[in-house]
Amino acid sequence: MKSIYEQLSEDVRFMEGIKACMNCGVCTAICPAAEFYDYDPRMLVNMVQEKDEESLIELLKSDMIWYCGQCMSCKTRCPRNNCPGQVISVLRKISQELGYFTESTKGRQQLAIKRNIGDTILKYGYCVHPKILKPERHPEQGPVWSWVYENMEAAYTRFGSNLDKEGAGTLRKITDDILGELKSIFDETGGTELFELIEKHSLKKAKEMGLASEDGNLDAYMDHIQTH
Amino acid sequence: MKIDGKRNVWHNYQKEIADDHFYYVRSCIRQNFFPGSEYFFLRVMKEELGKDVFDDPKHTTCTGIGYHSDVVPFETIQTVVARHFALMKESGYKNLAVSCVTSFGIYSEIVETWKEFPEELEKIRNLLRKATGKEFDVPENIAHTSDIIYKFKGEIAEKQQYQLVNKITGKPLQIVEHIGCHYAKMFPTKGVGGAEFPQVLAGMIEEWGGEVIDYPERRHCCGFGFRQYLVQANRGYSLANSKKKFESMAPYQPDAIICNCPGCTMFMDKWQYVLAETEGKYYGAGKHGIPVLTYEELAGLVMGYDPWDLGLQMHQVDSEPLLDAIGIDYDKNAKYDLSKKISPKKVLIKSELD
Amino acid sequence: MKKTILTVGGGLAGIEASKTLADMGYSVSIIEKENDLGGKVNQWHQLFPDFRESSDVQDYIKQSTGSKDIMVFPGTEIASIEKKDNGFYVKSNKAVAFDIDAILLATGFEIFAAERKEEFGYGIYDNVITSVDLEQKFRKGGQFYNAGGKVPKRIAFIHCVGSRDAKTGNHYCSKVCCITGIKQAIELAKLIPGVEIFCFYMDLRMYGLEYEELYKTAQEKYGIQFIRGRLSEASENIDNSILIKCEDTLSGRPLKMNVDLVVLLVGMEAGEGTQNAGTICNVEFGSQRFISCRDAHLRRNLTTRDGIFTAGTCTGPMSIPETLENARSAALEIHKYLSEK
Repeated sequence: MKSIYEQLSEDVRFMEGIKACMNCGVCTAICPAAEFYDYDPRMLVNMVQEKDEESLIELLKSDMIWYCGQCMSCKTRCPRNNCPGQVISVLRKISQELGYFTESTKGRQQLAIKRNIGDTILKYGYCVHPKILKPERHPEQGPVWSWVYENMEAAYTRFGSNLDKEGAGTLRKITDDILGELKSIFDETGGTELFELIEKHSLKKAKEMGLASEDGNLDAYMDHIQTH
Repeated sequence: MKIDGKRNVWHNYQKEIADDHFYYVRSCIRQNFFPGSEYFFLRVMKEELGKDVFDDPKHTTCTGIGYHSDVVPFETIQTVVARHFALMKESGYKNLAVSCVTSFGIYSEIVETWKEFPEELEKIRNLLRKATGKEFDVPENIAHTSDIIYKFKGEIAEKQQYQLVNKITGKPLQIVEHIGCHYAKMFPTKGVGGAEFPQVLAGMIEEWGGEVIDYPERRHCCGFGFRQYLVQANRGYSLANSKKKFESMAPYQPDAIICNCPGCTMFMDKWQYVLAETEGKYYGAGKHGIPVLTYEELAGLVMGYDPWDLGLQMHQVDSEPLLDAIGIDYDKNAKYDLSKKISPKKVLIKSELD
Repeated sequence: MKKTILTVGGGLAGIEASKTLADMGYSVSIIEKENDLGGKVNQWHQLFPDFRESSDVQDYIKQSTGSKDIMVFPGTEIASIEKKDNGFYVKSNKAVAFDIDAILLATGFEIFAAERKEEFGYGIYDNVITSVDLEQKFRKGGQFYNAGGKVPKRIAFIHCVGSRDAKTGNHYCSKVCCITGIKQAIELAKLIPGVEIFCFYMDLRMYGLEYEELYKTAQEKYGIQFIRGRLSEASENIDNSILIKCEDTLSGRPLKMNVDLVVLLVGMEAGEGTQNAGTICNVEFGSQRFISCRDAHLRRNLTTRDGIFTAGTCTGPMSIPETLENARSAALEIHKYLSEK
C-alpha cells in the first residue's frame, strides 16, 4: 500500500508544484483564500513537505484543502517556482480517490459539484447550461437572469444564438455522437470512475448522517451540503 | 506614476498572436451570459476584418470548470483538449482562438506539461486513440480572443464611430481593466504585457481613446474561485473578493470596468447588484453601479453597433450611464424588446434608425 | 626587466591589487571602462557596520594610484586577447594594446535592476526606491522627503530583492544587503525623528563582526521593527503612498500596510563588464554568472586559465574589507605565479 506522499508524487503536477519551500510567505501574502478563510498556503506546503503520513491523512480529511480558489496568484510570485494551487489540485484528487473528502464540511460539497457541473458536461456537452441555472438557486444572478430564464428561447435568439439546435452557434445542441465521444473519453481516462467514486463515498456518508432515503435518494444530503 | 515604466515592462512580453485562420473554441459561461459577445467576435472577425474563423459545431466544453473544481481528472481534461486539437487537424487549422480565459489557461498549461513531460503527451495520444480513434497535433499558435482583438485594435480604431471620451467634458473615460487570473498568472510570457502590468485590455482602451486606472487591488482575483462560487455555501468568498476590488477602485471613479474573462465579467457585474441589494452600496455615480463590459462589447460600441444587439441588456448593472457618457445613439425603449433581431448593419446615427 | 600585469577594472579591488603589485616591484596597467576610477564605492555615503564615511575609502583609493609603476587608462575596455609565449597580447577598444605577463580581472559587480521585479513597481511607482537610490539621497543631505515631497511617517525596507529568487535567476544570497538595510534603517531613524521603520526579511544574515550587534541596536535604540515575510506585491494608492502585501510568517497571517516609502535592498550581480571580460578571456563562469574560482577553498584568486586571476566581486558578493583582502591575496598569487615562470 503506497503512502500518501508516494501517491501524490506520481502526479506530474505535484512534482511541478512543490520544490522545497523556504517559508518566505509571498504566496500567503496575496492568496485570496488566506484573506477570507483561516487558511495559509505556505503552512499547507510545509505540512506536505514534511511527508508525515498521519498528518497527511488528517489533511486530506480536513477543510483546509478545500479553501483554495485556484487563482494561481501564488505561482506568479514563488521564488522557488512552487505552486501551492497545483499541490492543492493533487491533494483534492487523492482525498476523493480515498474517500476522505466526505469527512470535512467543504469536502462533502464535491457531490454537489459533480451533479451540477459534472453531470451537465456529459448531458449537454457544456459545464453550464441555462436550463440548470434555476433562478431560485441563483438569486445573485439578479432579476435580469430571471428574465432571460423565463424567456429563454426568445432571449437567446435575440443575441444570435442557436439554442439547442444542430449546427454551429452559441449554445447549439451538442449531438449525441459527440456526447458519446465525450463519454468515451471520460470512461477511458478515469473521469467516469471519479464521478462514481464521488457518488459512492457520498452515499455512504449520507447514510451515516441520516440524510439518505431508503432508495438511495440524496436530495436531503444535497440540500445540506450546498448550504453548509 | 511613471507611465513609461509600464511601457518598458510591456516590451518584454510581446507574444506571437496568429494573424488569420482560427479554430474557435467557445466559453461555457459566455455562451450562457454573454452570447452577444461571442456572436460579435465572429462578426467582427469575419465581416469587419475579413478573417477566416471556423466555428466548429463538433467541439465541446474544455471541462475547465469541472477540472478546477476537481470533479474532472487531469487525464480527462488533457484528452478532451487533445480531441479539440484532433478536430483542428481534421479541419486543417493550426491556430486556436480561445473564448474563455480558464480554457486559455488550460490549453497553455497542458501544452507546457507536454513539453516538460513528453511521456504525458504519449499517454494522452494513446487515451484519445482508444476513446475516439482520433490523432492530433499540438497547434502552432494558441491565442485568447482578447489577444486577437488586441492585435487588431488599430484596424478597429480606423472604424471607430465613437471615442472612449466623455462627450460633455471632453476628457478620456477612466476605465478599469480587469484581467482573468488564468490569462497570465500561470505563464506570464503567455500574456500580452505579462502578469503584473498586462497590456491586452489597456492597449485596447488607450487605442480607442480612454485612460486606464491603476488601483491598489488591480491584480487581485475577482473571486470566482470555482468551487467557491459553484456551491451556494461558499459564495461569500466570491462576493468578498469582488467587494474588495470595488472598494479599492471606487476612489478613482471609474466610468466602466472591462474584463477579458467570462467569470470575471459576470462577477464584477452581479456582485455589484448583490451589494446594492444587501448593503445599499453603489460604486458608480448616483444610484448606479459601474458598468461592466466584455472587450467585444467595448469594441462593438466604439464601432457603432447597437448596444442591444451586442447584448448589454444581459448585464445586471445598467450600461446606460456609460452609453450616455460616450454619447452613443441608442433606443432606450428597445432594451428588453425580444422581438428585435440583430441588425445586419451597424446603427450609426439617429437618422439611420428606421 | 619588470614583469607586467594588466588589471581589467579600476574599482576598489583592481586598484588595491595593482598598488600591492606595484609596491612589490611590478609594472601594472589598469583599464577602466568608466571615466572615473573607484567603482561603486563612490556612490556610498556611510559604511556598515560603524557608519564610517565612505570618503575615507575613496581617499585611500585616490592615494593608491599615484605610483609611477601604475598606468591608468580610463574609458578603456578589453576587446581581445591572444596567448603569446609566456604572456598575453591584449587589444582594447582604444588605440592602446598591452603585452603583459599576467591578467587580473577585477570587473566588479552590477546592481540588480529592480525593474525586473515587476511586482514591486520600481520605475513605475514613485515612492519605490532602491538602497542605491537611498544612498544618493543620503549623500545629497538636507531634509528627507519622499517622492511626493512628504516627510515619511512610515518606511518599509524589503530584503532579498533580486536574490534568493528563481524568478530572477539569482538563486544566491547577496550577503551584504541585510546589513546594508539595517544600516540605512538606522540612518533614516536618525534623520527623521519619530518615523516608523519596518524591515521585511526572510532571514537576517548578520554574518560579520558587529553586524548582529547592530541589529540589536536597531531594535533597542531605534525602535526598528522586523517582520519575517518576503514582499509579494507593492501597489500605489491614490495619494501616492504604497500598499505592500506580505505574510507575517511568525504569526501565520497575511499582512497589508500603507507606507510612504519602500526601499528595495537590491543584490549584487555579475554584470556586463564581468561577462564580457570573462568571455573574452575564455575563463569558466559559475551557474550564477560570476567568474569561477579554480579552487573555492584554497585558491580563490585563480581562474580556470593559467595566468588569468581575479580580485573582488567579479567572483561573488563581498564587503569592502573582504574585497581589499581578496585583492591583496590576488597580488600574492600573481607574484607566486610570475616568480615561478
